[in-house]
Amino acid sequence: MTDGLDALTVIFTEFYYWITVVLMFLIHVGFCMYEVGASRYKHHQHTLMKNTLLIPLVTVTWFFFGWWIYWAFPTGPGIAPSIMTESSGLILGGGFGANDVANPMSSVMAINLNDHINGVFWAAFLLFSWTAASIVSGALIERITTFAFGILAIAIGSVFWTIDAAWGWHFDGWMVKLLGYHDAYASGVIHACAGGFALGVLAVLGARIGKFSSSGEPRNIGPRNPWLVCVGLFCIYTGFWGFYAACNIPIFDLGPEYGMEGVTFFTATNIYITPTTLSGITLNFIMSLAGGLLAGYWVSKGDPFWTYSGGLAGIITASAGNDLYHPIQSMLIGAFGVWVAYKMHYWVERKFKIDDAVGAVAVHGYAGVVGLIVCGFVLWGYPSSGYGDAYAAINPMGMIIGAIIMFGVLGFLPGYIIAKILHAAGKLRISREVELAGLDYNIMESAKKDEKAVSSASR
Amino acid sequence: MATLTNWVEHLTTDTDPATDGIQVAGEVYPMVGTEGWLLLIGVIFWLAFHFATGAGEAEEQRKLTKKSPGSNAHKNNIPEW
Repeated sequence: MTDGLDALTVIFTEFYYWITVVLMFLIHVGFCMYEVGASRYKHHQHTLMKNTLLIPLVTVTWFFFGWWIYWAFPTGPGIAPSIMTESSGLILGGGFGANDVANPMSSVMAINLNDHINGVFWAAFLLFSWTAASIVSGALIERITTFAFGILAIAIGSVFWTIDAAWGWHFDGWMVKLLGYHDAYASGVIHACAGGFALGVLAVLGARIGKFSSSGEPRNIGPRNPWLVCVGLFCIYTGFWGFYAACNIPIFDLGPEYGMEGVTFFTATNIYITPTTLSGITLNFIMSLAGGLLAGYWVSKGDPFWTYSGGLAGIITASAGNDLYHPIQSMLIGAFGVWVAYKMHYWVERKFKIDDAVGAVAVHGYAGVVGLIVCGFVLWGYPSSGYGDAYAAINPMGMIIGAIIMFGVLGFLPGYIIAKILHAAGKLRISREVELAGLDYNIMESAKKDEKAVSSASR
Repeated sequence: MATLTNWVEHLTTDTDPATDGIQVAGEVYPMVGTEGWLLLIGVIFWLAFHFATGAGEAEEQRKLTKKSPGSNAHKNNIPEW
């Protein structure tokens, strides 16, 4: 950085991503509150610890290999050649954005005076990873072992979502090139993938004791603390501002980037390096939140849990195309996604006896899938990239295939298979006795003993 | 141990003779060059966590399963402070 403007751009970008990371912490605060509020008293502390532990587990594995996977796998490998290396093999080094920077042994994976971006960009993606794992966490409360959840959190947070991000959320990703896949704010790459993964695990894990009657009728195990759930969801909304900002590149000169001779065009871009504005996506974010809240209230007849969840699902549904939609389109798409997610949740619950304790599969998985499919129709014909003819335009079939890959291939299947392995090893689910007594039984018993000892003490 | 002992010298070291002008020596953390070993230690620490806590959790739950207190027993243990 020897030029003043260059330095300002770099340091502004560094600070911009840093702020997004701080904001996105609120997503995790919200998930913790939401999940604990949804759990019953006798499981509270373990529920909190389960969600909290994903922070260090996903973080260290994201450092060890998650970030590397994102930069290594855009080509498949073997599916479409990279525009950086012109090879369809794994991207292992060399060239702009290639994998040297993400190698955990690289000197830019540390304080390095020549690099101001890698660490904050790594952290922004890490917070996406926490979100992916946290989505899964809520669905599994009150019956999964912490050990099994740790393995599953690493799988979704540091492996499978990062593969789908390399494929469909990278300017060089093969899904963008061949399918015209477009997912600006991660309807699919985070939400559909994590929702599908949660469903795969739930299919093996089974329902909480008492969730279904002997005739198979589902019973409502409502949130233990609706206030905590609602405040948690407000925190998630707030953190989502950071999420949206982190999906953008704040300042980029697209003229030279697109090879337009003599043209200078400074703009914010999305993750695919196509132009958008922070101002415009702010409109769309709020309008899709509003559409989701309205639809959630409407379809659930005023149930607070689903109204708040509806707001989140509204944003998630519109996210795929929120870099380009009109705000009213965002609102309507968000509302539609919530209606589908709500109906699907109860249909799947009754039909397949799936106990999704917090509606995570619906709010993230089904809403994400709907968002991708709708995006394929509404943005049909838009270019998926500015890098030329190697990229297919956005189209419905490409987005439907993309949704299947996100929800099914990289979500449901890995979740199901890993859960099966953990189940076979006897590590997946807590025993019936522990589930009935409560995961916190020992902690509570110990606290009661302490209380007795203190209250009977005279000095 | 110290990677640098003089900031001026560090910031004016040309690390790439092929590059025009001065390119700052970027790495400032201690023990530059040992990143592979640091990674190995990190991975061992991470795996050790799983083994240790996994075994602890299994043991704790085995004891509770044996005790089998029942679904309402926790209500006697709700502290009042």
